[in-house]
Amino acid sequence: MKSLVPSTSSRNPGSAAQPAGSTGPTGSVLSVRDLTVTFADPRGGTPVTAVHGLSFDLSPGEVLGLVGESGSGKSTVGLAVLGLHDPRTTTVTGSIRLDGRELVGAEESVLRGVRGGRAALVFQDALTSLSPFHGVGAQLTEMYRLHHPEAGRAEARRRAAAMLDRVGIPAARSGDYPHQFSGGMRQRVMIAMALMNDPQVLIADEPTTALDARVQRQVLDLLGELQREHGTAVLLVSHDLGVVAGTTDRTLVMRGGVEVESAPTAELLASPREPYTRALVGAALRLDSVPGTALPTVDDPSPSRTFRPRTAEQPERWLVEVEDLSVHFPGRRRLPSLRAEPVRAVEGVGLRIAPGETLGLVGESGSGKSTTSRVLAGLQRPTGGRVRYDGQDATRPDRELRRRLSREIQLVFQDPYASLNPRRTIAQTLDTPLRLHTSLDGAQRRERSAELLEQVGLPAGHLDRYPHEFSGGQRQRIGIARALAPEPRLIIADEPVSALDVSVQAQVLNLLMELRERLGVAFLFVSHDLAVVRHFCDRVAVMHRGRLVESTDRERLFSAPHTEYTRELLAAVH
Amino acid sequence: MLSFALRRTLQAFAVLLAVSAAAFALFYAAPADPARAACGPRCDSGQVAAVRQSMGLDQPLLTQYTDYLVGVVAGRDIGDVDGSVIHCDAPCLGYSYRLHQPVTEALVDHLPVTLSLTAGALAVLLVLGLGTGFVSALRHGGRTDRLLSGFTLVGASVQIYFLGYVAQWALVYSTGLLPLPSYTPPGEDLAAWAGGMLLPWIVLGFVNSAVFARLSRSQLLETMNEEYVRTARGKGLGRLRAHLKYTSRGAAGPLVQLLGLEAGVLLGGAVITETVFGLNGIGRFAAEAVGGQDLPAVVGAVLLAACFVVLFVALADLAVAWLDPRIRLS
Repeated sequence: MKSLVPSTSSRNPGSAAQPAGSTGPTGSVLSVRDLTVTFADPRGGTPVTAVHGLSFDLSPGEVLGLVGESGSGKSTVGLAVLGLHDPRTTTVTGSIRLDGRELVGAEESVLRGVRGGRAALVFQDALTSLSPFHGVGAQLTEMYRLHHPEAGRAEARRRAAAMLDRVGIPAARSGDYPHQFSGGMRQRVMIAMALMNDPQVLIADEPTTALDARVQRQVLDLLGELQREHGTAVLLVSHDLGVVAGTTDRTLVMRGGVEVESAPTAELLASPREPYTRALVGAALRLDSVPGTALPTVDDPSPSRTFRPRTAEQPERWLVEVEDLSVHFPGRRRLPSLRAEPVRAVEGVGLRIAPGETLGLVGESGSGKSTTSRVLAGLQRPTGGRVRYDGQDATRPDRELRRRLSREIQLVFQDPYASLNPRRTIAQTLDTPLRLHTSLDGAQRRERSAELLEQVGLPAGHLDRYPHEFSGGQRQRIGIARALAPEPRLIIADEPVSALDVSVQAQVLNLLMELRERLGVAFLFVSHDLAVVRHFCDRVAVMHRGRLVESTDRERLFSAPHTEYTRELLAAVH
Repeated sequence: MLSFALRRTLQAFAVLLAVSAAAFALFYAAPADPARAACGPRCDSGQVAAVRQSMGLDQPLLTQYTDYLVGVVAGRDIGDVDGSVIHCDAPCLGYSYRLHQPVTEALVDHLPVTLSLTAGALAVLLVLGLGTGFVSALRHGGRTDRLLSGFTLVGASVQIYFLGYVAQWALVYSTGLLPLPSYTPPGEDLAAWAGGMLLPWIVLGFVNSAVFARLSRSQLLETMNEEYVRTARGKGLGRLRAHLKYTSRGAAGPLVQLLGLEAGVLLGGAVITETVFGLNGIGRFAAEAVGGQDLPAVVGAVLLAACFVVLFVALADLAVAWLDPRIRLS
């Protein structure tokens, strides 16, 4: 979408109601100078400055990427432009000029005209950002009527239908509710709604982060097309350099509320000036990294360490063997008398994991990969098929085997915020598995907990802290320490790095690779991210709609994919 | 929808059957003898036996219960204490030997009072509870919020019989601001009806509004942070309009469910309120029936109350599903 179409060239007559105005002194449609946003602490603590002295310009039709990790203040910028912060707790200083008009300190009535009119927002998760109570057509109609009070209901409806049609949603579905659409369709609705009033500036905050790679590509392409058609300037906020790389003209990197570096995107990616940018660029996994090598991080931008090359051999005895596994969930019943058609989440899946081996399980949302891993973890009873663990039938384990499985198979979860009990200290969290699975006494357990914490790169002194005192990456380390506590032979990791920022993701992957080499643990690594899977896994199994479509060595999968579906998945990775 | 209605109706029947059976069985487990109670203190054992036979109390419990159920569906003939036979039309909830009147008839006589009381009290509860909840949520943490929270807490912690007497003394006897609580059928004199019921409405509504205010405050506060509310503001909607259109809708589910339950419970009879204000509704009827060991009247009142609860809970579920299209009725 790299284009510089003048913003006035394709405006439709509907926007003439608003003063087009002259662009700012620098010819930019959005001009931010020395922006500082400070949040007061509701409990009376020291205020937090989320953005500090930020300046940038956005030319008509330009796409500017705003990149940073969580907590860098990038989303705050987008909300500040529309004055959406709570004025009672937030102080905004500096200058934000939209089309020459100052927005900082502007009247609420002025801001209401800007919001959704001359500047519009697209948020990350369309499912939670669109109203669940209104049909999508009605939501677009409302958007139009708010800014065109003179237009009748019929006119607004007609425009909403046309806009939905433009983003590929048939008119027949305009009465449907957001939850009845797929993730990609919902994000299209969100984009259509944002463009309803032909805004001069579109602020897209992680617009595709919640989507699968394939859908992500489609939505970004659509956004690019529309941006060119309407000549809208876009501020694309993202943590993902991959998204920014293919989409933006210029990129501004933020860290801790301040600008690190700003340059044309191609230049920034090819030769980043600042070490932080270099680390961000290096940490973003692409499909050309050398698998199994240590990844560059912010602290260590050029790591020298390599891990032992891993070869997949035919083992004497498989650690896990799954044959013809199926899991069905009861479907929705239409009438009390009729039998419901079950939802076939997993159908006829076979997998094998050798001791010490890492198997990647890949697929999009709804492919059944998490359900499969839940069966192995003993959290989901299979409808059919057989599961063998270390040569024993584990489909219906007896008491003794169940004990052994609960010790030797451990889990690492996706969300490091939700998977740690906020009311328990780290020592308490680590103590439970040790008490259940070892014969250590209290003092020994504490000693072992300290050891585990150091093993995952956290100081033993942090044992008595609570989860909220740690960052996302640190919490994921704690989750890994908890999984390591009973000395497992298999760790099932369900999207363990998907919720983390790129640079933190690199740190956690480095840690996992190191632990794997040192401890010889086998992994079932569930992920939708092919680049991560390629870097971390020995063999890869691809699932699609509950079935296994391909299962082979990493090298073979990525160099010569067998099935059409795998090829499509690979093509979507930027 | 059809399947929902069908399932709910079946469920309601099962609940009512269980409630009636339990009420029947419990009353028989009590040491009191309904035949002796019906006959009066001067009866000798022979007379009591005769009464027992004419009332059908000498039959096995199961037979009595099935007779009762048949009566509910088809009506039946019942023997009075003096041996005369009365025909009781369906839905026959038995015959009160204390009042010498079919229970259904007696309940229908008392129902208008309870209906009036409930309707008005619910209106007061809604206005007070939702109003304070909404204002509290908008001004959360501030002085208004604390003041309103304190106000509703008083409501929750004060007993109706206390507040009722105090209010009656202050507003009726001392100042004469309100007429003495009484029931006039609204068809006869609408102003007298409203005037006579005003004090009971306010007291019953206020006391019950505390839970509602607290729930609506917390629901609204939670929903205010929803992303779709932020999107609504981002579309250009003002703060108040965004909250009225989006936040309220998101917060409504649990409130509607509580309201449904509250309506069902109140329609079953507000014993204390009716007693304090001398209103002759279902609640007082039931209390007197228990005192007079009037088994059929008690079982009838219990069944009616259960009916109301089941009905209004189902209505609330329907309303919630209508408010939130993500909810499937099942």
